[in-house]
Amino acid sequence: MLFKNHYEPLAYAIFIAAILAAPLVLDEFWLNRFSKYLVFGMLGSAVALSWGYAGILNLGQGLFFGAGAYMLAMSLKLASPTSLQQGSSTPVPDFMLWNAEPGAPTQLCCIVKGSALWLPFQSQWFGVAMGLAVPVVLATVLGSVVFAKRISGTFVSIITLALVLLVRLLIIDAQPLTNGFNGLTDLGSFHIGDFTFDPYGLESYYLIAGLLSLVLVGTRLLISTRAGLILQATRDDEVRARYLGFNVPHYKTFFFVISAAICGVAGMLYVLVSEFASPTFMDLSFSITMVVWAAVGGRASILGACIGAILINMIEAKISETKALVEVWKAIIGLIFVLVVLFLPRGLGGLAHDLCRGLWRRRVSGTSPVGKTGTISHPAA
Amino acid sequence: MAVTALLIDGIGVDFAGLKAVDNVSIAINEGELRVLLGANGAGKTTLMDLISGKTRSMRGRVFLYDTEITNWPEHAIARAGIGRKFQIPSVFRDLTVRRNLQVASCRNPSVFANLRLGFSAEARQRIDQMLAVIGLEDAAETTAAYLSHGQTQWLEMGLLMIQNAKLILLDEPTAGMTVAETRKTAELIRKMRGQHTILVVEHDMAFVREIAEKITVMHLGQVLAEGSIAAIEANPKVRAAYLGSKGIA
Ligand SMILES: Nc1ncnc2c1ncn2[C@@H]1O[C@H](COP(=O)(O)OP(=O)(O)O)[C@@H](O)[C@H]1O
Ligand SMILES: [Mg+2]
Repeated sequence: MLFKNHYEPLAYAIFIAAILAAPLVLDEFWLNRFSKYLVFGMLGSAVALSWGYAGILNLGQGLFFGAGAYMLAMSLKLASPTSLQQGSSTPVPDFMLWNAEPGAPTQLCCIVKGSALWLPFQSQWFGVAMGLAVPVVLATVLGSVVFAKRISGTFVSIITLALVLLVRLLIIDAQPLTNGFNGLTDLGSFHIGDFTFDPYGLESYYLIAGLLSLVLVGTRLLISTRAGLILQATRDDEVRARYLGFNVPHYKTFFFVISAAICGVAGMLYVLVSEFASPTFMDLSFSITMVVWAAVGGRASILGACIGAILINMIEAKISETKALVEVWKAIIGLIFVLVVLFLPRGLGGLAHDLCRGLWRRRVSGTSPVGKTGTISHPAA
Repeated sequence: MAVTALLIDGIGVDFAGLKAVDNVSIAINEGELRVLLGANGAGKTTLMDLISGKTRSMRGRVFLYDTEITNWPEHAIARAGIGRKFQIPSVFRDLTVRRNLQVASCRNPSVFANLRLGFSAEARQRIDQMLAVIGLEDAAETTAAYLSHGQTQWLEMGLLMIQNAKLILLDEPTAGMTVAETRKTAELIRKMRGQHTILVVEHDMAFVREIAEKITVMHLGQVLAEGSIAAIEANPKVRAAYLGSKGIA
């Protein structure tokens, strides 16, 4: 059975219809804001896939998000007018000029040490390809090593956490190449052929809403496959799965990589609408925030985690309008997290699921005397 | 002449100098049900660990039919055709009974081969039949965590059967069971017989009498005796080893 109950496909359909219709009621400013929330929703779903279904609590999801973001941002930086007006035959980012040794040639190949790495990013599609490839390769290497060594639970969380902080440090440290702390700003626009994506435009919004819908449906289908079922089995009991003949590290790594790829895409989309990439994407607090979104929305629900992320960000935006509450927000979100973990371990998604299931069972039992689900029976001895 | 399904040849492992299993050789024929008997600490579980790849052997070899599987990775040994039930029952607790069986029924272990939705009509039918065999038809949609102790054990045996294991290792399958559950388990093991070769560790002598053909007795990591129930009970070495603990019955 593909779906647990008939309300589930309906919930997906309603959500997708809602985000597609949202521009009808949003002005330009809110449209841009809301597209960022949809990107966060995508991150929530990626966390649900890895945490809820693979049992991998990745506290470094920001690494993949940041990698996607930086790769596209490098291309867009080179496409920026500020990079094109240096009087050289190649575009040169402004910050490289500020960091260059006196007398260094004003060419991308050699203005600062290692700047040749930027050369292929003159092609925007190279940036896009890297935005997908870098998270995928990182996750493949990390997953293969960690899961083959049977490292699990808290240790995986600690390793991913340490890794995101390490990469963040490296980026800040490589100031001449990355503009360090300040990140990549003043970016050019993303374009397909002659069409340019305006960060505040309807097209950018629909690009994001469309990709989010694709990610939601695709991920939901993926966990319904046999491989998805086996993944959940390895989450429940790794040893049992191994003794049924499954190569557990392969399964974990595969879904870990999918989750990373989604984060990479989210990173690129975020750059598209926010017009910057910054080391703050790899702050520990951001990765933890993603986990909170998924916990509140429901880590065992791809859609729930996505909605959780969007809801929390909308509430945050509303609250930030009141100055006095801005400071309190962190405390509020912390409190929500604790309450959810204590009283609603499966999050809003779990709650909705139980409610629908109750409704469904009442309808079913209206037509037949026996409920279809959840019967616990004891065999006659 | 019968085909040998499992051949253990002089296998052994030490734990910090203790010879937990020492130079054990056993041959089990295809379709046979062999009972492994021995006091606590005799090395029965360790022997199963060596066969199934959980523990790496230091000496000796293991063959499944013509294939040497000594010290292969666990999942490879499982795929070669050895299914194992653990002393502490282990199933996929958050999945329903039916989904547990679905997982075990996936023939191809690779991730990419399993990127498909649903199960064939044949597989679904096999799962329904297995639910009947293990007596869990009415609990098919129950989450495994809510099963009773006995039901969990039967589900785990169902996983091994639907996996089509050639050799099934059962470590104390009736431990902690009520009398009625024990009887049902004996019945289940009799049903397994014929389709699978079985090696079972068991303490309960009433149970052993009910199911056993041939018994291997282990003592301090070594094989002490091998033979029919009558021969084992009459064996002076076995009697001596169990002296003071009122014999094996
Ligand atoms: N992983 C291990 N490390 C150290 N000693 C072990 C280990 N596993 C088993 N042993 C020892 O090996 C001996 C055999 O144990 P075991 O195979 O569990 O016996 P049985 O299953 O027959 O009761 C015991 O003395 C036990 O303490
Ligand atoms: Mg034991």
